[in-house]
Amino acid sequence: MDLNFMIQILPRLLRASLTTIQVSLLSLLLGTLFGLLMGMIRVLGPRFLHPFVNAYVTFVRGTPVAVQIYAAFFLLPRIGLNWSLFEISVFALTFNSVGYQIEIIRAALQSIDKGQHEAAAAIGLGKWKAMWLITLPQAAQRMIPPLTNELANLIKASSVLSIIALYELTRAGEAIIASTFRYAEVLILMSILYFLMIQSLTEGSNYLEKNVFNFRTSRIKTRKIKQPAG
Amino acid sequence: MPLDLDFMIRIFPELFRALILTVQISFLALLFGIVLGILLGSLRVIGPRYIQIPIQWLVNYIRGTPQLVQFLIVYFALPRIGIVLNEYWTGVVALTVIAAGYEVEIVRAAIESIDKGQKEAALAVGMSEVKALRLVLLPQAMRRMIPALTNELSNVIKASALLSVIAVNELTKVGNKIIYETFYFFEVLIEVAVLYLIVIGVLGWISSYFENKVFAYGEAITATEVR
Repeated sequence: MDLNFMIQILPRLLRASLTTIQVSLLSLLLGTLFGLLMGMIRVLGPRFLHPFVNAYVTFVRGTPVAVQIYAAFFLLPRIGLNWSLFEISVFALTFNSVGYQIEIIRAALQSIDKGQHEAAAAIGLGKWKAMWLITLPQAAQRMIPPLTNELANLIKASSVLSIIALYELTRAGEAIIASTFRYAEVLILMSILYFLMIQSLTEGSNYLEKNVFNFRTSRIKTRKIKQPAG
Repeated sequence: MPLDLDFMIRIFPELFRALILTVQISFLALLFGIVLGILLGSLRVIGPRYIQIPIQWLVNYIRGTPQLVQFLIVYFALPRIGIVLNEYWTGVVALTVIAAGYEVEIVRAAIESIDKGQKEAALAVGMSEVKALRLVLLPQAMRRMIPALTNELSNVIKASALLSVIAVNELTKVGNKIIYETFYFFEVLIEVAVLYLIVIGVLGWISSYFENKVFAYGEAITATEVR
């Protein structure tokens, strides 16, 4: 093991990791946006739209991400979109992520107690307003752990983008291996970087879940504190 | 975009052969993975601490790094330690590593989800821990594993698409080769996607059959009790 060599290639790999993080985070955010939209349609929207959403989910979950990436790479230019490699990559991963996020969001929305909808309807809130004001804020906290999982999956899936030559961590590592043949050092360093990325994101999400999106638990806490006084 | 159906039919035999290879490799990997997974998963539950911890490290490593990186490691590392395999078996080994990593967790979770009283009762009638695991806990855990294992098999099939980077002639690789030879992007990609969808759909169907019919002894016992 040549430590000097590892230190020498570290900046190159770190720069490539930045691309990995950018692509994964962007795809997660865009994916959540479209996922929320389609997830809400799946729960509340008109019935004739449900089969389309379901077909989309089945397609994404039933085909390998490599095939989806190739499809984006070959077909987007075909329909006249001259996007950069980075944009194509974000599109492909978003397309993939939406399919998984719809199910996450649907499950979270449907896990909220029915009484909440009924109470909202009873005080005269419309279907969509009740969703926006009552159900969604409560479901947000329950979405965080599976969405973290999804982000970890996206980071891992982003390594597949190396097949269309996006210069992210795996591609950078492969390029270094191809020019120096020192695969042990490079592969170990790559593994460590991926591991650190995924681990730190998990920690970040635990923080989000406990400290930012805890509307429900904080209310329960206040109630508990008030009880002995009253 | 009009599809060239003649072309799609013409390339079908070639894609179908590649699909068979994909399914073969995935299935072998899943089988080896189950054997390894049950072995390591059981050790993870009843083994001594100095075995449990390395197993957990291995699982964390496999779940925390991309599959592509693990493929590269297997691809480069096996010849280095003197094991020279052809692409087919390199693919099987690489997929087995991935499958086993996830299956250890599946097996562990399933065993730990069995009611504690079962293990205590087994120990109380004088079974050793290993015997209790083999005769009492594993048979009950088996049924709970089936849905997770099917999920894992479809994950393995999807992961096998990445074997194209180490030159295994599976479905994605063959599809790509046809694209580069003919430039019929749309037809090839659709056909490849549909083939994957069919295989994974059929698997889900087989799995629910197994769960409800073959490994249903847990249910059967409860039914007798109710009567």
